[in-house]
Amino acid sequence: MEIDLIFKIAAVGIIVSILNQVLTRSGRDEQATMTTLAGLVVVLMIVAQKISELFELVKTLFEF
Amino acid sequence: MEQYFQIVAGVLLAVVLILSLQKQGQETALLLSVFVCCMVGCLAVGYLRPVLNFIRKLESVGSLDSEMLGTLLKVIGIALIAEISSLICSDSGNSAMGKALQFLASAVIVWLSLPMLTALLNLVEGILGNI
Repeated sequence: MEIDLIFKIAAVGIIVSILNQVLTRSGRDEQATMTTLAGLVVVLMIVAQKISELFELVKTLFEF
Repeated sequence: MEQYFQIVAGVLLAVVLILSLQKQGQETALLLSVFVCCMVGCLAVGYLRPVLNFIRKLESVGSLDSEMLGTLLKVIGIALIAEISSLICSDSGNSAMGKALQFLASAVIVWLSLPMLTALLNLVEGILGNI
């Protein structure tokens, strides 16, 4: 059970949304977009590892 | 058994986190739900491992054709992954992609079961030929 990874992803999402709002208010729209994109990539890396883990597990268990 | 309650608690917690994330960053909320689905899927498939070993034992006891059972297990795996992924697509608002994934899974399953259907056809032909 990797409950810490759930918290990690949620924390990244919250921090990115806060940074996005702060940067948008201070008039740096492009930096806000870049921050959102960077957060998305970080979360996507974690999730992609988990997806590949599930697929590998199903592949080995169901003998593909 | 203890792990089951931990998983349920973790998923309920993740639902609340996703709901709070959905207002600000929809992408992260979707990725979190994908992550939780994969995690729970991994754990559930891990529980299925002894069951599959038991099925293999039954197969050796009943001296069944291992190719048929292998096809059956593959179909189960494909259906599992297709169901989870199509539901994730529907959740993110892309129902069409989810439907397409389901269609793909059906096509692959029919393609996989083609040898079984051929064997059935041969059997029927053999029986009819004897009459």
